Amino acid sequence: MLGSTLDKGAGPRRWNRWRPTVDLHRHDDLLVDRLELIVPRQGQRLAAAVVQDIASVSPETTVRTHRLDFEDPWDFEEVYTGLLDFVRGLTFRDSEDYLVHISTGTHVMQICWFLLTEARFVPGRILQTSPEAGNAGPGHVRIIDLDLSSYGAIRSRFEAQHREDVSFLKRGIETRNLRFNALIDQIETVAMRSRAPMLLTGPTGAGKTQLARRIYGLLRDRGRVHGRFVEVNCATLRGDQAMSTLFGHKRGAFTGAVRDRAGVLAEADGGVVFLDEVGELGLDEQAMLLRAIEDRRFMPLGSDAEVHSDFGLIAGTNRDLRACVAQGTFREDLLARIDLWTFELPGLAQRPEDVEPNLEFELDRFAAAHGRRASFTRTARTRFLDFAASARARWPGNFRDFAGALTRMATLAPKGRITPAVVREEVERLEQRWGRAEHAEFPRVASALGAAAADLDRFDAAQLEEVLRVCAEAPSLSAAGRVLFAASRARRRSVNDADRLRKYLAKFDLDFATASAV
Amino acid sequence: MTTPVEIDGSEGEGGGQILRTSLALSVITGVPVRLRNVRAKRAKPGLRRQHLAAVRAAAVVSGAKVHGDAVGSTSVRFEPAALVSGHHTFAIGTAGSTTLVLQTVLWPLLLAEGPSEILIEGGTHNPMAPTFEFLERTFLPQVRRLGVDADLVLERHGFYPAGGGRLRASLRPSRLRPFTWSDRGEARGVDARALVSNLPPGIAKRELGTSLAALGWPRQAGTSLRVESGGPGNALVLAASFESGCTVVSSIGSKGRRAEDVARDAAREMQCFLDQGAPIDEHLADQLLIPMALARGGAFVTAAPSLHTRTNASVIARFLSVQTSFTQREDGLWHVEVTETGAAPPGDR
Repeated sequence: MLGSTLDKGAGPRRWNRWRPTVDLHRHDDLLVDRLELIVPRQGQRLAAAVVQDIASVSPETTVRTHRLDFEDPWDFEEVYTGLLDFVRGLTFRDSEDYLVHISTGTHVMQICWFLLTEARFVPGRILQTSPEAGNAGPGHVRIIDLDLSSYGAIRSRFEAQHREDVSFLKRGIETRNLRFNALIDQIETVAMRSRAPMLLTGPTGAGKTQLARRIYGLLRDRGRVHGRFVEVNCATLRGDQAMSTLFGHKRGAFTGAVRDRAGVLAEADGGVVFLDEVGELGLDEQAMLLRAIEDRRFMPLGSDAEVHSDFGLIAGTNRDLRACVAQGTFREDLLARIDLWTFELPGLAQRPEDVEPNLEFELDRFAAAHGRRASFTRTARTRFLDFAASARARWPGNFRDFAGALTRMATLAPKGRITPAVVREEVERLEQRWGRAEHAEFPRVASALGAAAADLDRFDAAQLEEVLRVCAEAPSLSAAGRVLFAASRARRRSVNDADRLRKYLAKFDLDFATASAV
Repeated sequence: MTTPVEIDGSEGEGGGQILRTSLALSVITGVPVRLRNVRAKRAKPGLRRQHLAAVRAAAVVSGAKVHGDAVGSTSVRFEPAALVSGHHTFAIGTAGSTTLVLQTVLWPLLLAEGPSEILIEGGTHNPMAPTFEFLERTFLPQVRRLGVDADLVLERHGFYPAGGGRLRASLRPSRLRPFTWSDRGEARGVDARALVSNLPPGIAKRELGTSLAALGWPRQAGTSLRVESGGPGNALVLAASFESGCTVVSSIGSKGRRAEDVARDAAREMQCFLDQGAPIDEHLADQLLIPMALARGGAFVTAAPSLHTRTNASVIARFLSVQTSFTQREDGLWHVEVTETGAAPPGDR
């Protein structure tokens, strides 16, 4: 890029100054065969002078000038797209070696060149030049290969960051299952490079929601998203409410629509929405969702104006969506749109190596939540691990079951020691529970109440399931209460949400610690 | 095809001189040359731009096929075809020197059947390279004694960094014959010229003042000259003439270098030559070896021959059936003699 200030100079004295574009051609150990010089409208005369000086110091060099104007050379979007278009107009050959001289232009231009080179739009290396003391010579040249394999220091920093990110996605758990670790690696890579939807599949309790939340956390920490994380379980959405929850509604759009509602897709503008159980979504909602993904636009219920939302989508399912497509319950085009990146999370039974690291993690989590630490006796630990990794342990609720077992044992541990007796009781409890028909519809209820779940009416089980879901996501009893009783709270009818929730849970012999662990 | 001569750049003084001598003799003999470990002993090994300019110029005058002609390349294969006399223009950057490129193509073209007109554009007064004045006043008169029929014209000065100088050489077919320089003979006079271009004339005055005083030369021996060129430039040229010839010593001014230091460097080198008492100075000694070898004989007396000169002699022996002997005399000076060996050199087989 012609340096409108740095490359300036008239009269013989110009040779006393460091002029990056001219001096680039004065090095004895660098020969530029061809220079593609980008010149703005107001730089034409300067460019002619620079080209003449280059011809004098480096007759071997062919110079081609390109007119490129920026209204605001400090505007990232304009500069990036302008340079990208320029680069796309060039023909790159394998037989040539390309250097991108970034020492002229605005800082925004330098950053954009760096990005274009890093993203391999320019198959070359970065060329950095700088003046030397007293301007006695052409200055210094540094060639930076962004192909990180040869750039040790940055690479090790990069790898450390990558490790950190991956560990973040695994909630800091040092998992050992190779397949799982490879999966997390891949998710990290995709999350950092792509804005396309992701589909997380796997059995219930395998950690889809947790992982979606961690992916969002990673994106936010790395500045890739700045909006909110909104999650919704599509299995809980029916009819008007489904449309309204996802896309929002105008007041009076349907009976009960007393106020405008934004909807989760609008709330997740600039952020990420996690649609769990996406296979449960009705066909109408699927059609709207497809359009919202493709155009970033959708129509709230009862509205005559489209809403724009730039949301990232993570979808979760434990169903075989291809089978759903075959049955006609899931749109093929929507599936094609969301399963570009499909990650299948293995259940706990498929990851016996990870039982032990997760055991430590759950104990730490218990300690952090309850302010007291529980630990296994040596024998008890061995017995529990043996059981947990054995074929007897089916872990149908996966990590939800596992966390529940640990929470119970830690709660019951006399003086904080989880003894073989405690383990034995827990194993019996688990086996008894797993021996019964699974409450596939209400997995949290099944996990929290065990055998007693079968005695609940469907009416109560559905309500408890939702309460348990909120508890699992809430940091405290009070926080869960605020969410569950938000409407009453708005009308100032309830002043003690926590107490109301505690009493509700007590009816099922549950406390918040147990409820939030399922 | 003829077996190429293999030259290992890591032997002896592994500089650009090996390259230029090898290229010139490869073109003259028609024997390909393969250079390995080019400039192996240098901080940044491999060809630099000025060497590349020499390789490409040699390729132009001989229609050669070249492999490895890139900056940083440590291995070059050069296969000359046929000598092309006539008009040639070589544009080289300021990083290179017109005089060094001339050295590379001069001998082949003098031995061609037709005359040549060479125009070289670039630097004419570079540090680490002979200045035009050295070629004009020291080198050319001496090689004319060996039978060289040539004229050199400086059409425009070219200083580092702006360059833009022009050196024209008219070369006519020459038959080289042996010659011997044994004594300096009588002193014929001294002079000092300070050249400035686009710089305050005070620089020239200070350089002349300092150098003349250091050498004890009369003030009227000094001349300051303002010359035209594309950028700022300065050179101090000192000359001492004897019956045996004229010796020119130059020092090039550069940004940040004081005029007095430029002057003292030149004066010290001149004083050193004057004290030695030999007719041929170190730089000319280097330049005479090729024409003497082509003349198949000749001798000169010089002070200590440099590693540069000895390396040059050994490269020449790889192409031509000559040998160079270095013999120290009782007075400490060295007698350097080129003789024909009769045996074909390795490269001729």
